[in-house]
Amino acid sequence: MADQAKRTMTLNLTDAEMRVLEQLSAQKDLSKTAVIRQAIRLYQLVDARITRGEKLFFEDEDKKAKSELMVL
Amino acid sequence: MRIAVGLIDVSTGEPVQAELFDDVTIEDFLQTQRDWRPLVLEAAQRLTRAGDRPSIIPQHFHWDWTRKEGDLRMLANRFYGIRREDKLQGLAKLMTVGHVCRLPEQAGKPLVYVDYLEVAPWNIKPLMTALGRPHRFAGVGTRLVEIAVRLSVDEGFRGRLGLHSLPTSEPFYINTCAMTPVGPDATKQNLTWCEFTPAQADGFLGR
Repeated sequence: MADQAKRTMTLNLTDAEMRVLEQLSAQKDLSKTAVIRQAIRLYQLVDARITRGEKLFFEDEDKKAKSELMVL
Repeated sequence: MRIAVGLIDVSTGEPVQAELFDDVTIEDFLQTQRDWRPLVLEAAQRLTRAGDRPSIIPQHFHWDWTRKEGDLRMLANRFYGIRREDKLQGLAKLMTVGHVCRLPEQAGKPLVYVDYLEVAPWNIKPLMTALGRPHRFAGVGTRLVEIAVRLSVDEGFRGRLGLHSLPTSEPFYINTCAMTPVGPDATKQNLTWCEFTPAQADGFLGR
């Protein structure tokens, strides 16, 4: 809801980072701000679960491959 | 956030105001355990004694909100409650990451996922009928779906909404809310995945 006060910041990105942000924005039908906000939420969620001892995996069912993603 | 929303007082048929809030606390979770669960169990026991299959018992009644305290701190989660007469009338947990659209025309697009939505047992007509009592308020579930759609709009998701519906809730989501039943999800106990497109969400809000 639009009730939460929002604060503004300047974000400095490289050309490559900005290109990726623009691609994600177009692919996901989201504003660039919304992409960044999603990224923060996802990072916090993943970090919290890893901190409590869980692991994050990517699984390729076709290749029967499973790899753990290490998150900083 | 605290705003007034409209419900219907079933005893009078008149609209009444309730409070929708998003600063849900562990105390609200405890209230569901303390106030809601005994009533649901009483209805289940009565139906079982009468030889009926307690199919009208909300299948999420075993959900233990008190285990969800850690979720309150996650930005990905948003909690909303509706209060009237100092009692919690409904509670919802929404997620803004972790799920994407499945309908072909919007596959892969972000949505707000309704992880949990429950109304107080005294607002569930079949349940209260089983107990021989009138139900109290109508419209609680609809108001919670409405806030989920509005969150989706606010997040830039254009009203896209998704959820896994319990069988007992399918008539509400599919018929009342007019969500599209996409199909059973084998990864989630074959619960039916339901989804709103932006146009459907607009239609829902406009009703």
